[in-house]
Amino acid sequence: MDENAIIEGMARGDQRAFHELVERFKKKVYYLALDMAGNPVDAEDISQEVFLKVYRSFATFRKGAKLSSWLYRITYNASIDHLRRKGAAPEAVADELIESSIGSDAGLPRRGAADPGAALESSQLQDRIARALEKVSPQEKAVFLLRHYDDLMLKDIASCLGLSIGSVKSYLFRAVHKLQKELGTTALISKAETSHE
Amino acid sequence: MNECQTCRDGMIEALYGELAPAGKAAFERHLDACPECRTEYAALGETLKLMDKRERVDPGPGFWNGYWDRLSRRMLWEKTEEGRRPSLAARISRVFSGLPRWAYQTAGAAALLIVGILIGSRLIGPSGPAPAGTVAAVSVPAQSGAVVQAGNFVERSKVLLLGLVNYDPATEDAYALDLGRKKAVSRGLATEAAAIRKGLNEPGQRRLRELVANLEVIMMQIANLESGQDVDGIELIKQGVDRGGIFLKIDLDRMARDARGGSRPASPAGAASPVKKSQA
Repeated sequence: MDENAIIEGMARGDQRAFHELVERFKKKVYYLALDMAGNPVDAEDISQEVFLKVYRSFATFRKGAKLSSWLYRITYNASIDHLRRKGAAPEAVADELIESSIGSDAGLPRRGAADPGAALESSQLQDRIARALEKVSPQEKAVFLLRHYDDLMLKDIASCLGLSIGSVKSYLFRAVHKLQKELGTTALISKAETSHE
Repeated sequence: MNECQTCRDGMIEALYGELAPAGKAAFERHLDACPECRTEYAALGETLKLMDKRERVDPGPGFWNGYWDRLSRRMLWEKTEEGRRPSLAARISRVFSGLPRWAYQTAGAAALLIVGILIGSRLIGPSGPAPAGTVAAVSVPAQSGAVVQAGNFVERSKVLLLGLVNYDPATEDAYALDLGRKKAVSRGLATEAAAIRKGLNEPGQRRLRELVANLEVIMMQIANLESGQDVDGIELIKQGVDRGGIFLKIDLDRMARDARGGSRPASPAGAASPVKKSQA
């Protein structure tokens, strides 16, 4: 079933179209919610809320719009609402994320099992990255995640999140700068540049 | 705006390959000429490379395979919740629940007086006795709001309990159980049960009151299960449900309410006649 068929089916209230929509987008929605909320339980809750909203208010879907953009926007809004309701301190959220990534084998590279040293290194890197992401505001994080991991163009992110392109660029620049600062990549580069020169 | 600022403004687009061709040549020229901007640009690029190494934790096939089922169950619950919105009678009774005791006494006395006047006027007045139909309509006992509420509560508790007793940890994964949601719903039901029990104070409502009390205890047990799978806790609850003949009591209660002509809460689609696996 292609995207148009899903949209037409949804407009008719066809349950199969909704099932297809969920199957097609569940991972994208879940992972964005996970990155935003920081823990798997909340991520599933948010992702379900997103699909319930889609099911109930499909009539508000603008004809000609991209389904994925609409879903990203709903997910982003649901995640922000969730964070507001929870009043979540970023540290606490990120700790859960770090724990879940360290505690589970699923996210670690396969080679880690054969090479404990590499596994530890990878785990430490994941830890650093997670902690760096903690320092980024939810808006900056959403923009960064959509551009970097979901490969959305800046104009598409602007359309998804209802922002101007200028704001998207600004959020993204700030996000990457904060990550750079937290990950210490400036120092690395500066050293390399100095030794090169 | 100086050249460095223009260059900085274009860095993000350049890193993601979105810099317009018109500005690209000038951007690259400035980078070649300005070591500060070059360093900054390289550092940002290095950061993105590092971020490429980030891994998202995959919850596994069990999670993804059961996703639709869990979503469907939630939709079912939400529908049930919608059907549970308080009736007009319940809303009125809620309004009156805050009134002081003397207000009820006064209202009761006034109602008795009005009924007395009406009866008197029918018996003594020129129009004679009331038509048979009117009397019959008054004599059919309507189910109280508390009974309807209790019935609704029992049905919802049954759906939740079926999900729990039909769960087999040997063949199903923990995601299929969706224990977190069940715990949250059970907590709500247990709170609700306490209020419903208080409303069931008529002599003929003893069995229903006991059933609600039994379910309240079970709901509290579910709400207090450990997070995760808590197989032992679930097994204990299953045994308690079996020993107490809870499903039989629920069915008997439903039959009794049906026989009295009480309104049965509409079962949500897909849960029209849920059964315990062992009974199926």
